[in-house]
Amino acid sequence: MPRIFVSSVIPAPVEKVWERVRDFNALPDWVPMVAESHIQDGMLPDQVGCIREFSLQNGDRITEQLVALSDYDMSISYTMLMTPMALENYFATLRLTPVTETKETFVEWSAEFDCAPEDAEDLIETVSVGVFETALKALARRFLS
Amino acid sequence: MPSVMTSKVIPAPIDTVWNMVRMFNGHDHWHPIVANSQIEKGTAEDQIGCVRNFKLSSGEELREKLLTLSDAETMFRYCLIETPIPLYNYVAELRLIPATLQNHCFIHWSARFQTPKDQTKALINLVQNSIQRAGIQAIEKKVTAHVD
Repeated sequence: MPRIFVSSVIPAPVEKVWERVRDFNALPDWVPMVAESHIQDGMLPDQVGCIREFSLQNGDRITEQLVALSDYDMSISYTMLMTPMALENYFATLRLTPVTETKETFVEWSAEFDCAPEDAEDLIETVSVGVFETALKALARRFLS
Repeated sequence: MPSVMTSKVIPAPIDTVWNMVRMFNGHDHWHPIVANSQIEKGTAEDQIGCVRNFKLSSGEELREKLLTLSDAETMFRYCLIETPIPLYNYVAELRLIPATLQNHCFIHWSARFQTPKDQTKALINLVQNSIQRAGIQAIEKKVTAHVD
């Protein structure tokens, strides 16, 4: 089972960063490749079990389900239900920790999934660099100005 | 129960920082308030349950026991078992996490303890500033000197 771990520092207080990333329906606000997102069945974006359906700039559609949300730990976990990527049992967690000495935020994003062995290398690259790194760099930029 | 934590990102690879801090008896080489330290009964310093017996530069003598050491999670936990300072049921954890985009190291030092109410504020201040903050600054200074 491939595992991915990407982490970085966001130049903003943890409360500000958490406010943005805890919104399960807010991907278009900070992830560059996401075009549009909505929550299915009239549920709320912080209601555990809700499903977000979003489309990428390239037209791909993905659905993901919120499986855990903690304001106490500042962590959010979700699984992927529908995706054009050749993977399954995808489970990801994004977690924030305050950097007390600089009043910034340390962000960790991890994922694991199953896939055919021959696809693993490409999928790891896609998720870790194409999605997580790109998104975290964009998140940091949002707080720079 | 007061709990205190201090964290910082140090501009050095995690392996460099871990090699330095995982040595339970090595704090007298880097922590500014530790004058000298030894492991009791000739046990190894990475043997769980070992006790470090050390003296602060201010003269107080303390004993701390290693509770957890994980190379997989790059963290260790320890507790105070003897201290002239009123820090009771003191358990601390020092944890390192890689900041992969920068190839830097996030260091997270936390502790919780009990203490008489009228001393709570002073001891939170002591743990946060004299132990955690001073320690993290010293670690950073030492590892970045090596990196440069």
